Amino acid sequence: MKIALINGSPKVKDSASNAILQELKKFLGDEPIIIQEHFKSPEIKEEQMESILDCEAIVFAFPLYVDGIPSHLLHCLVRFQEYIDKIGKKEIVVYTLVNCGFYEGKHNALAIDMMKHWTKKSGLKWGQGIGIGAGGMIPGLGNVPAGHGPKKNLGTALKIISDNIVNSSEGETLFITANFPRFAYKLAAEFGWRKAIKANGLRRKDLFRKKV
Amino acid sequence: MKILIHDLNENDFNLKFNVIGKDITVISNNNEIHNCIGCFGCWVKTPAACVIRDKYGDMGELYSKCDEVIIISNCCYGGFSPFVKNVMDRSISFVLPYFTYRNGEMHHKNRYNKRYKLKVCFYGDNIIEEEMDTAKKLVMANSINMNCIKHEVSFYNSIQEMEGEIL
Ligand SMILES: Cc1cc2nc3c(=O)[nH]c(=O)nc-3n(C[C@H](O)[C@H](O)[C@H](O)COP(=O)(O)O)c2cc1C
Repeated sequence: MKIALINGSPKVKDSASNAILQELKKFLGDEPIIIQEHFKSPEIKEEQMESILDCEAIVFAFPLYVDGIPSHLLHCLVRFQEYIDKIGKKEIVVYTLVNCGFYEGKHNALAIDMMKHWTKKSGLKWGQGIGIGAGGMIPGLGNVPAGHGPKKNLGTALKIISDNIVNSSEGETLFITANFPRFAYKLAAEFGWRKAIKANGLRRKDLFRKKV
Repeated sequence: MKILIHDLNENDFNLKFNVIGKDITVISNNNEIHNCIGCFGCWVKTPAACVIRDKYGDMGELYSKCDEVIIISNCCYGGFSPFVKNVMDRSISFVLPYFTYRNGEMHHKNRYNKRYKLKVCFYGDNIIEEEMDTAKKLVMANSINMNCIKHEVSFYNSIQEMEGEIL
């Protein structure tokens, strides 16, 4: 079996989407042939589309942007759909992992719905979606294996979706968050913003700057 | 002031909508636009402005000066078209990185005191029922996320249908 993993984060490094895909790979095991693509700009090449369409399963992982799909990825999806329309439909199952900055995984529900609509319009088959909250924690937890500590739920969800992917089967949408209290996630994130602004030579109060 | 974000070509727009003499700032797809790169620079590097200095880098500031944001967008998989979505992705400087809770869920705190009304007009000749459902929920989610005063959403089969209906 051939599986395409598509990272839809515009970040070149340290994206949660990439970290999630790398964890997923471990669950998929050695048997499937895995190809990896990174859609980080609105451009998508014909070779990329061809090699993706040569797979039995496509797995998208991307960040939630303003309750939806990031615009560069949306551009790619529109082109991709046009390409699929042109060459005729394929027997491919689409899976989607959306992560977001807010704590609750539910925020990702609409982006997953949009991916379902894309799948249908493209004549492909829907597999499963997972909405992951508290995505901001994931890149910093590279040393913690999925299924443990704050990544316990992530491990459980990745096991379920990986089984579905290798069996080309469908599953219901799952929403998860970190095994970490919400108030602590909020505190840690806000501490992070203060640290980041200071690292840029500005002061804490500059976070509140208004343009007039 | 009102802001009108649309994805129509100049010709169609000028034929169907008359903004002359009205207090409307129009954001069109007539300049090079870069996509958000997820750097959060608009929060921690150049707070309140996007670090990318093309013509779409000050959306947050613009929202802080308007009473209503009107969006005209092709309905794409139950969401906005890529151009309109690009403008929205470049708009998060309007809020603070700090979190608050609304309806029991996490959202961002306001940067500005000013809040606006959100009016979205989706068009397209092939919008299926499920996409419409997603689009309605999306506008509601955006409205909560950006802490809008209120929101409304409507659907049109074509650009022609919108003439005289929106402004
Ligand atoms: C332009 C922009 C818009 C965002 N909108 C949302 C949002 O609506 N809800 C949310 O929970 N997180 C939102 N986020 C946060 C990202 O989803 C979050 O940081 C995610 O972990 C990034 O994933 P990545 O590292 O894979 O790119 C937004 C981030 C950016 C840059």
